[in-house]
Amino acid sequence: MRLGVAALPGDRSFRCLPARGKRWELPPPPRAGAMLGGGARASKPSFVSYISPEEIHIKEPIEKEVNPHLLPGELLLCEASTVCKYVQEDGSHRGTYGKLVCTNFKISFLDDDSASDDNEPQFKNKIVGENDITLQCVDQIYGVFDEKKKLLTGQLRKYPETLIIYCKDLRVFNFCLRYTKEEEVKRIVSGIVHHSQTPKLLKRLFLFSYASAAPNNTDGRNQTVMFETLEDWRDELERTKGNVKYKAVTTNEGYRVSEKLPLYFVVPICISEENILKYEGRGIPIWCWSCHNGAALLKMSSFPKEQDDSTSQMQKAFLDGIYKTISKPPYELLRMDDLSSSLPSLQDIQTAYTRFKQLFLIDNSMDFWATDVKWFSLLESTNWLEIIRKVLKKAIEVAECLEIQHTNVLLIEESATDLCCVISSLVQVMMDSYSRTKSGFQSLIQKEWVIGGHSFLDRCNHLRKSEKEEAPVFLLLLNCVWQLVQQYPPAFEFTETYLTVLSDSLYVPIFSTFFFNSQHQRDTNKSGESIKTQSGPFRFLTVWDWSVQFDPKALAFLNNPLYAEKPKPDRSQRKTSRFKHQRQLSLPLTQAKPSTKRGFFREETDLFFKNILGKRIGKLINSSDEPPNSFREFYDSWHSKPVDYHGLLLPRIDGPEIKVWAQRYLRWIPEAQLHGGGTIATAARILDLMEEVQSLQVKMDEEHSQAVSGDVHSVPLLRNSARLSSLFPFALLQRQSVKPALPTSTWKDLEDEDDLVKRDDEFVDLSGDML
Amino acid sequence: MAGQGCQGRAGCRSAGRDAGAGPGARGSFPGRSGPGAPGPPGQSPCAMSGAPGGRRPPFPALPGERVLEEAAGARRRRGNGGGSVPGTLLCTNRRLAFVPGQAPGSRGLLRPEDEVALPCIHKLVAASSFSKPKVLTAASTLKFIPEELAVFCRDFRLLRFSFPENGLAPQAFRVANAIAQAREAAARLGDAADGWASPGEAVPEEEEEEDEGSSTTLLFESLRDWEEELQRLGAAGWRVSAVNERFDMAPSLPQYLWVPSGLLDHDLKRTFGHFQERRVPRLCWHHPGGGHLLRAASFHPASEPGSEDVRCLEELLLGGRGPCVLADTAELPTLADIQLAHLRLRALCLPGAVAEEKWLSALEGTRWLDHVRSCLRKAAEVASLLAGKRCSVILQEPSDRDLNCLLASLVQLLGDPHARSLPGFQSLVQREWVAAGHPFPRRLGLLCQDSPREEAPVFLLFLDCTWQLLWQFPAHFGFTEAFLLALHDSSFSPDCSTFRFSCQRQRGRSSLPRLPSQTYRPMGGWQEPGGHRGHPNPCSFPPVWAWGRRYSRQQREQFRNPAGPPGPAGPPTPSTPAEPCPWGEPRLVLALAKGSLCPHSLPWWSRPPQRPPLWGSPSGSQGTLGGLLGTSCQPPPGLLLPCTAGPCVRLWHRCYLRGLPQEQRGRLAPSLAGLTEELQLLQERLRAWNLRRPH
Repeated sequence: MRLGVAALPGDRSFRCLPARGKRWELPPPPRAGAMLGGGARASKPSFVSYISPEEIHIKEPIEKEVNPHLLPGELLLCEASTVCKYVQEDGSHRGTYGKLVCTNFKISFLDDDSASDDNEPQFKNKIVGENDITLQCVDQIYGVFDEKKKLLTGQLRKYPETLIIYCKDLRVFNFCLRYTKEEEVKRIVSGIVHHSQTPKLLKRLFLFSYASAAPNNTDGRNQTVMFETLEDWRDELERTKGNVKYKAVTTNEGYRVSEKLPLYFVVPICISEENILKYEGRGIPIWCWSCHNGAALLKMSSFPKEQDDSTSQMQKAFLDGIYKTISKPPYELLRMDDLSSSLPSLQDIQTAYTRFKQLFLIDNSMDFWATDVKWFSLLESTNWLEIIRKVLKKAIEVAECLEIQHTNVLLIEESATDLCCVISSLVQVMMDSYSRTKSGFQSLIQKEWVIGGHSFLDRCNHLRKSEKEEAPVFLLLLNCVWQLVQQYPPAFEFTETYLTVLSDSLYVPIFSTFFFNSQHQRDTNKSGESIKTQSGPFRFLTVWDWSVQFDPKALAFLNNPLYAEKPKPDRSQRKTSRFKHQRQLSLPLTQAKPSTKRGFFREETDLFFKNILGKRIGKLINSSDEPPNSFREFYDSWHSKPVDYHGLLLPRIDGPEIKVWAQRYLRWIPEAQLHGGGTIATAARILDLMEEVQSLQVKMDEEHSQAVSGDVHSVPLLRNSARLSSLFPFALLQRQSVKPALPTSTWKDLEDEDDLVKRDDEFVDLSGDML
Repeated sequence: MAGQGCQGRAGCRSAGRDAGAGPGARGSFPGRSGPGAPGPPGQSPCAMSGAPGGRRPPFPALPGERVLEEAAGARRRRGNGGGSVPGTLLCTNRRLAFVPGQAPGSRGLLRPEDEVALPCIHKLVAASSFSKPKVLTAASTLKFIPEELAVFCRDFRLLRFSFPENGLAPQAFRVANAIAQAREAAARLGDAADGWASPGEAVPEEEEEEDEGSSTTLLFESLRDWEEELQRLGAAGWRVSAVNERFDMAPSLPQYLWVPSGLLDHDLKRTFGHFQERRVPRLCWHHPGGGHLLRAASFHPASEPGSEDVRCLEELLLGGRGPCVLADTAELPTLADIQLAHLRLRALCLPGAVAEEKWLSALEGTRWLDHVRSCLRKAAEVASLLAGKRCSVILQEPSDRDLNCLLASLVQLLGDPHARSLPGFQSLVQREWVAAGHPFPRRLGLLCQDSPREEAPVFLLFLDCTWQLLWQFPAHFGFTEAFLLALHDSSFSPDCSTFRFSCQRQRGRSSLPRLPSQTYRPMGGWQEPGGHRGHPNPCSFPPVWAWGRRYSRQQREQFRNPAGPPGPAGPPTPSTPAEPCPWGEPRLVLALAKGSLCPHSLPWWSRPPQRPPLWGSPSGSQGTLGGLLGTSCQPPPGLLLPCTAGPCVRLWHRCYLRGLPQEQRGRLAPSLAGLTEELQLLQERLRAWNLRRPH
């Protein structure tokens, strides 16, 4: 809808607008002048109001030669100078001049600002700057031809006046090429379109050039469990005490079983090697996680629909055999859940997200206000929040089975690498407080997604091969986790900023984490056989090494200062006693049994409230044929108790509770900015308090004259917290964001009151123009 | 953070001062247990006798409160599946109360969630397994023994009581009927206005909490409060006028008015007749930079001021204070809009009102948030106008008693850091709503004689707007959501005087039969029928600000925002004066409409201004407000500019969704409060260490 609106009223049209009023004829329009003066940083020479060719000529010599900052392995492909980056907000054609470059890693706009960075922002990504767009982050490119917007893909015959780049992290860039040399326009536009929009080979990803060129001296050892070795899986089994009934197998070494399965994985002890090998791992329950009561979460990739009757008979028999073995003691009862039928399809998810993100890809403020009136119904019509709700609900159902019914849950999906990953990760975040620590969450992503075989490459469409495969499954998980984070902030060691940054890292191709479809693909491409092999196999960076992207000061924003940390027992005891204990706090087993006798769930009263309160009770869960009561009861009884941040955590999923992840989606929109407000204001206060507490602690320690703890985290100083805006730490929009509601000229005109009165007569038809 | 909060009666100066006179005038002052007595304070004898079995913990009755009926052994359900609490359900002549089986607290306070004032009951539904649920009114009594009783409250709560079968049947029946009857009676009583002001002295707290310093709540019932506040504002050129001391100039206005110093009372009197309800323009707030905020009713349509009157009017309106901007309430919702939206919102927030997936569009359909947005937008426009230029803005509403209250207080919340402290906010409500004559009883629907069309929860809309600001600027407020919620709920409470009267005059005369407070006589003074001279008799009920009466210390501690501004707001910084009005013409009058200014004329000006209208950009009304701010891009310190875009205006979950099965539970500040506590603890320990250390 938005795309239809011409983004640009056009310089020409603006310039001729005031022509009819005599007093406007002088070259510098008073309004523009006032606006320029209005910028908080108006002194910066790079800010130009309404562009006119005259100004360009003045401007050009001032422009310094700025060179892009290139990473190791990064090559400059093409560049264009005298490009103007518009301030997106109001289509007023204010902007900054600079150079637009395209490398094999990013599209980058270089202005004078970037050359002389006098005031370093507090939160800065070292790899991808404010004006950098990695090629994988480009969503769509539009060109403006004679004020019409056209999608640019592949070959171009005409070259646009303005280039609009929509990014996957929801930034929108407007580059005006009108004053650029034609030759350069051709080169840069086709370069950008070619490198970001056309299919490419895996080996052409920047990942490989970077890995071969960058000196890899990272220690690589962080707390995140990578699940690349058998030990990691065994440790995980031991941690969750699943090792009695489940075993880590080496059957897939050399990828004998399947290229989609990880090198090592965990199956029930009773599953034999032949069974695993028989159908390339299909039909085999693969262990995800064990609950404290022994019930386990399993996943299984199903057989594709088989035409041949005998084959499908055999498959059925095989499955029956498997189910029988794992339903027998010592295994718990088994409940199967076919996610492809009980959850929205990948196609639905992709459609919903495409619609949803359109709400935030704002060209100019007119569009924003146009949609603002119907904000809630537009939001609803995207269906994105509804999908989040369904996924969360499914996760609660699974949690209920595990926790209350002591039943194993087997998630079934065609490949077991999409919605299975979402649900199993969510269940673990909800049930296992270890997954709510930073390293625990990262290990979880590593276990279920990276090693688990989620096809990041296809789902993110990094190689631009096929849009059919694209679906924001991982983003869906992050959105769901965000709901939990904002509902129970003290339960998480990380902040929403962490999640936002993680979602951005999906598009930074220097980390291998999100750029392979499977462990097999990664391993085979790691060896670097084809390209010049000067240094043996590539050593890829992992995204979990956050210091690659952020300074320690910025890293502090990823940690939740209010995390209700468990008082740490001895390290040695941790693994054994911790998990069981804390869950019992949250949900005593006595409560687990529904007291049907004379409790509060008698049928009549339920009926009564159905009568007088409408049909809602039970509606939440009625989608399946299962008796919904157990779910509802579980949900309600959990929510009626105080929250234990280290125990089971259930999200609220009622209509008003599912919200928009404002930080991720609104961060570039100046209209949604609050000066001195937003959650950052509280966060800043908290950090101040923390700092004070820490300094007091240090003092105490000195008084004790004991060894200084040395455990003092660095806390960022947000001294001027009152001046921060709600968009912090992302957008640096403060300087241009305020748009006059009343044109400043109104006051100016009033100041010229006497003149005005005298000139009453000439003014007759001006009012129409000014509208 | 110290020094905020009005706790106990001592915090409210006027009430404290007047307390001595109150009970004597009333008689039938209930016996009070001595300070050392074990029973809860203020226990009236009749309440004690109301307990037949004597098994339940004593019921802390209010003065003048009688227990009409009670059912021991009832259970209050908590949430859906949250279990139920056994206790006693009581119906008194003032409220419905539930005393849990266990002693609720050492001081005999009822938990606010366990009581409902009778006027606050919106609907009463009884049900049993043998019969259809039935809505109870005084006219249609119950024909069956109820097993469950659902109480739908105006404040969005839904209370559910169940009666187990063991021999409770007659009691359950009687209580249910009694509630229906009492509710009707209470409404009738409320009409008489004096019913609430029945005898009784608000009982002083046992542990009277001393006020921690200078920050107190001003009630604006005495001259001193007005003078003190004017001084705080530093509004030179303004004085307190006692011209309305006997309410003879304008019955619905407060006794004291802030008017220009240059205008003598004699001249001032000439202006009253030219405004509806005789509500003349008067100062609300003075921006340290020199802007003035005034409020007034609209010009009386029939008035034709003579030249002398015009001189006085223009002195009052313009007074050489720079251009005068008239801001009317045309863009704001009407009272009917507000009421309709509120009803829809209340319906939406009932459990099961709408399917989950349709929730957002249903919310949009209520238009409540739209109204919140338009109020915030208008207030932000006015506030930035005042901050940017030295001018005076006159809020003009036909009656000056509804949306003007809302706008005037919102503008001050945006512009005045003091108004964002707890005592400052209480003073603000006291001045702009209570003293200014917002007709609370009618607007909140506490009366039954008035037609329902009079009902419009403007005050609740204001609280919602305040909550939006609180949510958008958490670090700028000295109070919390818990405080706003308490205030929201207290607006229906029978035991505080703040919201019981339509204006100061009515409050003062509350012991007399009800008077038509709206009587307007075009010219000439209002003759007081009774011989009330000097101070009106203060109402004997304490103001709502005496939180200590109904909220425990722990609860009251949650009223203060630990993340708020560190200290009590100091005197307004003598900040950089706003750009002076550069143009010389003294008689410039503009109108603020749709975010832009255009020249306007006063009704008695013969010649309409000959200037072309000056318009802002068409979308401007919705944009941010840099233009109104003059030249600076960032808002000046102290000024909050809220975002009114769709994603930034939210539903007040904790208030409106309380009726839903899943209660809203400590998700907001506890950990922050915990952190503050830890800090204090550490500081104390450090002090102890320092003391112990040998010097």
